[in-house]
Amino acid sequence: MKLRQRDDVSAEEEKALRAIIQPPQHIGARRVVIREGEPLNRSTLLCEGLMGRFKDMRDGERQISELHVPGDFLDLHSFTLKRIDHGIVTLTDCVMCAASHEALNGLTEDFPHLGRLLWMTTNLDAAIHRALTVSLGRRDSVSRTAHLLCELHVRLGVVGMAEEDEYPLPLTQTDLAECMGLSAVHMNRVLRDLRERKLATFRRGRVHIHDLAGLRWLAEFTPEYLFLEKKPR
Amino acid sequence: MPRFYLHLINGSGITRDHEGLDLPDIAAARHEALSAIRSILKDELSHGWLDLGGRISVHDDNGNFLLEVSFAEAVDIRSKGIG
Repeated sequence: MKLRQRDDVSAEEEKALRAIIQPPQHIGARRVVIREGEPLNRSTLLCEGLMGRFKDMRDGERQISELHVPGDFLDLHSFTLKRIDHGIVTLTDCVMCAASHEALNGLTEDFPHLGRLLWMTTNLDAAIHRALTVSLGRRDSVSRTAHLLCELHVRLGVVGMAEEDEYPLPLTQTDLAECMGLSAVHMNRVLRDLRERKLATFRRGRVHIHDLAGLRWLAEFTPEYLFLEKKPR
Repeated sequence: MPRFYLHLINGSGITRDHEGLDLPDIAAARHEALSAIRSILKDELSHGWLDLGGRISVHDDNGNFLLEVSFAEAVDIRSKGIG
């Protein structure tokens, strides 16, 4: 469980959390799961697949503001906010589970530590968003893409889905372009650049990292903002 | 939706599009090519150069050439200033 990376979770807490998670649902790729503004009475945990938080512009351009990997709650902040300010779309076939807000409310009252851990996960999302803001504001196209590839390597590693030098990323170049505020053709050029610099290759839905230190240096990436340390929360 | 392949030919050589883009029609493919050029030039400008000598070559699913969009077409260069 992702939470255990950052704090101790007792067996009792784990049991209580599992008890409020509803049975898994399978959703196909490229489906909008939650619409912007939709009133929500549940939060959703991603179990398999990749999802994206997005906003569509009037001209049809899309910005993905965060990618979600298995183990992420997609919209825990909707528990307090009651609706969300963006849409959520499946980028691959996905499996997800919901937890009703009513059940979450009960859980946080009976297990305040768990409540704080769930709160922490929304704080982690915010840190990831801030990092993206810096990337989009100040990094060039190659560095910001390198940063995203470094980040996903760590986030997927936390949930046991990445190896030391490679990980699955079943996305299109258009998806990556939408994360990075670039055109798809430009992203193709960026990926070629990373390949030619012998830093990383993205091919057939997998990222192969040839030079992790070099990729991190180009991206100015350090994993601090992902808060991988274990502390009592 | 038809799939279009937008190959980039510029100062850094030929970057082939192996994935393609699903777009409604050729007009949309041309629009996408213009966006791509502007995205690339924006980035180059931040590094201190601007190479208008490139082009994007658009092909269909069977590899047939459909149209070409030159970098120069995508940007209107002026020096008006305030006077």
